[in-house]
Amino acid sequence: MAKEKLTIGEISKPRFEFRTFGRDFDEAAYLMSRLSVPVPQKVWERTSEEFYIVSKTNDINNTKIRDGKMDIKTFVQEIDGLEQWNPLMKAEFPISAEVLKNEVYPAFMVDVPDFDKETYTYDEFMEMIKNNPDLQAVKVEKQRFGYMVNDTICEVANVWINGAAVVTVNSESTEIDDIKKTISDLKLDGVENINYLQAIKRIIGWNDKPLAN
Amino acid sequence: MNESQNPRFEFRIFGNHLEQIEQKIRQMAGEEMVRSMMSVYLLASGNPDNNIKIREGVMDIKVLEDEQHGLEQWNPFLVGSFPLEAEVIKTVIFPALGVQHPAFDRSTYSLEQFINEVICVDPDLTVAYVNKKRHGFLIDNVITEIAEIKVNGASLKTICIESEDPGKVIKLKKVLGIDPSAENVNYPLALKRVMGLVSLPDEWKSENF
Repeated sequence: MAKEKLTIGEISKPRFEFRTFGRDFDEAAYLMSRLSVPVPQKVWERTSEEFYIVSKTNDINNTKIRDGKMDIKTFVQEIDGLEQWNPLMKAEFPISAEVLKNEVYPAFMVDVPDFDKETYTYDEFMEMIKNNPDLQAVKVEKQRFGYMVNDTICEVANVWINGAAVVTVNSESTEIDDIKKTISDLKLDGVENINYLQAIKRIIGWNDKPLAN
Repeated sequence: MNESQNPRFEFRIFGNHLEQIEQKIRQMAGEEMVRSMMSVYLLASGNPDNNIKIREGVMDIKVLEDEQHGLEQWNPFLVGSFPLEAEVIKTVIFPALGVQHPAFDRSTYSLEQFINEVICVDPDLTVAYVNKKRHGFLIDNVITEIAEIKVNGASLKTICIESEDPGKVIKLKKVLGIDPSAENVNYPLALKRVMGLVSLPDEWKSENF
């Protein structure tokens, strides 16, 4: 079967992903920059500010809010240590109680609260998160540098999780073999695949495993 | 270093972009010492007045004694070395944490038992593992510190100015160009922010701190 040509910033089939977090990926970042084909200027450097909603009872749904829009991805499968996530839902604030009840809270896998309003603003929703001890809204600021290595979409990013700094590198593609080659080319063989949810949980103390370095 | 027994007044900031202040400190004094250490902080969301940590198997608690001109005076007292008696955990540590103590299954607890069986199972408590590399300076007899820290693996820097004389701290703050309105952030508050027990200030942008 012919490989799908990936284009940065465009929608593709669900991609597999290798990502890891730590403090020192200087060598991988250098190799990424040297091995990359030229990429569109719009992805050279991107900054964003998001809130991830993490749940103590759930590692398979990844919820983030950026610019008043909620985006939930769900874990599909893992093959050879690479993870595949699919979009589960997208919604824009204000969000109806119906959607919160039937889609958002089930994704958190916590008890669904009583809703006394028909719709909820961003601030009202965040207040509900704050009041639930099993949920936390984590501020995540990103400075992302995009590359394309071995036909995989790559990035190295400075990330601040509740203000504390880490570095992440990733490679994603529909093609598993291309990611594996990229991991090897970036000298990341044997480095743990750590997704955003796991990295956040480790830093906020919900999981006592260390980052990759 | 000038190691006085009297509690000092302290001003501390945390951030990732403290280079300008650091540069001024290094211009004004030579580095007197570098120390690397691992500390375990015990945190409860509703407990602002105690700083509770374990370092090299020894627990100490600092109590916020006084605040003057935006400076904090912390008074340390030593709880003891692990293994610790359940009675000490019950009557000293839990009151300092400000949460209800649990039932204790053992008469004494090793550090590992204390963390795993007492702290981690309590939904009101959390643990921060903090690696510090502390660079000490003495500027006009005022202890000044620059430290690179890792909180559960994530990086921050902190700069601290401390003296028994609050006037000297305020003066050095000014000399170092620290904004007079800059928030004084102690370790427990900084850690609680990273761990999400306390929200970051609304205007927080990491690129600015």
